[in-house]
Amino acid sequence: MRDDLGLSGRLFIVEGIDGSGKSTQLNLLHKWLISQGYLVVFSEWNSSPIVKETTRRGKKRRLLSPMSFSLIHAADFASRVHSQILPALQAGTVVLADRYVYTAFARDAVRGVSRDWLNRLYSFAVKPSLSFYFDTPLAESIRRIMDGRPKLKYYEAGMDMELSSDPEESFRIYQGLIKHEYERLVDEFQLVRMDATETLIRQQQRMRDLVRPHLSGVMRFDGGEIHQALRDANLLGRYLNDAGRLPPP
Amino acid sequence: MTELSFYGFRPPGIEGESLPGRLIVLEATDGAGRSTHVALLKEWLEDEGYAVLDTGLRRSDLAGPGIQRAKGGHTLDPITLNLFYAADFWDRLERQIIPALRAGMVVLADRYVFSLIARASVRGVSLEWMEELYTFALVPDLVIYLDIDVEQLLPRVLSSTGFDYWESGQDFLRGSNVYSNVFESFVQYQQMLLAEFRRLAKRHGFTVVDARRTVSQIHQTLRSVVDDVVRGMEEWPAGSTGTEQLHVAHPDGDAHDGHDGVDVTRSERAAPSG
Repeated sequence: MRDDLGLSGRLFIVEGIDGSGKSTQLNLLHKWLISQGYLVVFSEWNSSPIVKETTRRGKKRRLLSPMSFSLIHAADFASRVHSQILPALQAGTVVLADRYVYTAFARDAVRGVSRDWLNRLYSFAVKPSLSFYFDTPLAESIRRIMDGRPKLKYYEAGMDMELSSDPEESFRIYQGLIKHEYERLVDEFQLVRMDATETLIRQQQRMRDLVRPHLSGVMRFDGGEIHQALRDANLLGRYLNDAGRLPPP
Repeated sequence: MTELSFYGFRPPGIEGESLPGRLIVLEATDGAGRSTHVALLKEWLEDEGYAVLDTGLRRSDLAGPGIQRAKGGHTLDPITLNLFYAADFWDRLERQIIPALRAGMVVLADRYVFSLIARASVRGVSLEWMEELYTFALVPDLVIYLDIDVEQLLPRVLSSTGFDYWESGQDFLRGSNVYSNVFESFVQYQQMLLAEFRRLAKRHGFTVVDARRTVSQIHQTLRSVVDDVVRGMEEWPAGSTGTEQLHVAHPDGDAHDGHDGVDVTRSERAAPSG
């Protein structure tokens, strides 16, 4: 991964199996950073508009063998790096990513794709300033997922791997394999291990403490002028508040 | 037969040691007569009794439509576009090419990974990264390169489709003034591309065929090189039977591993080195 680009922005990413609570914590961090006046760009796994159509097509028609799965996700990621993540980092903002290359490393490696090849395939990715791995006992994360969502999707449950014909059983085995792969990645890439069994507030405090030292010198949005404008116009700035752009006066 | 040998690693889901078919690739820049010669070879091979599958870029169910759409909008950065092409290539390799080879067919590929590598490389994508990306590609039995110069390309391109946006490199080259733009960038782009193709031909040991001659002369040369490769296909490899053709001919069928652990006769002609 590249760290030779002299980027003025900062990239923070979260990883972990489904139901590890990583998205909840990243959302809290997102709101906190905005309240501190930082400009934040948020990037989600598998969300590039250009590749989405192909991914949907592949999933719907179950055309995704391990290698197709790997290449389509790499295309999606590359598209987000070049159109979203890299420009934002060049401009000096904070970028938050819910899942990053390690998700691809884990999912593809358990499907038999060469780890060495994956590493080189993703060599165009920007190296994060800080990567968090949310470590949860398998049983706990599965309980969380099964609580809220009774019907598992084909690829989400790892059904393509033919681990079991029962989606729930397949999901359990699949998540276990992914978790095992993450354990390797934590060591290899020095991800920060977060104990996801701690209370939400503890986890968030720890995350902020770790992020804070990386924020010195990062561009902030000065909201002072807009406060003055609102007072002059006798407005509350209700919509601006909703957008989270403005800390309460 | 085609040895199941890959440039780098064996991708997951591909079983077996060898395939009874033959994989023959034609590489060249646009306008060199590549598609014409694929069509002529296909007809000739079928007349000789060989079952032939012809395949070309962007023809996969999975990524073909996505690439067409993306190219229309000129919206993709080169890395993403190349990963799209790689997904298209893999889908065809897995679901068309390898099943056809397993069924004992001759596969004629109108371009292979080398066109993709050459085009990306002249656009500034790292050659090393591109070659690494395609280490999952099956090593063909024969790669033919139709060698031509820009001078011969010009009349052919002008008399057919004219200067195509992508084939003139206009996505990344700009001529010195508005009026000479397209022509200049076509010449410049094709020169860069041809140089890259020749470099790849040397590196991977392609069979270079002089495409400056008449169609009929070129076809005769192609027949003789292809003939060397398909010869011996009338016999099933030792240890296998023709009946498996029935099992594997279905394009969506499961990978058949009838050759596992069976000692098969090696073809006399070695695959080009990777």
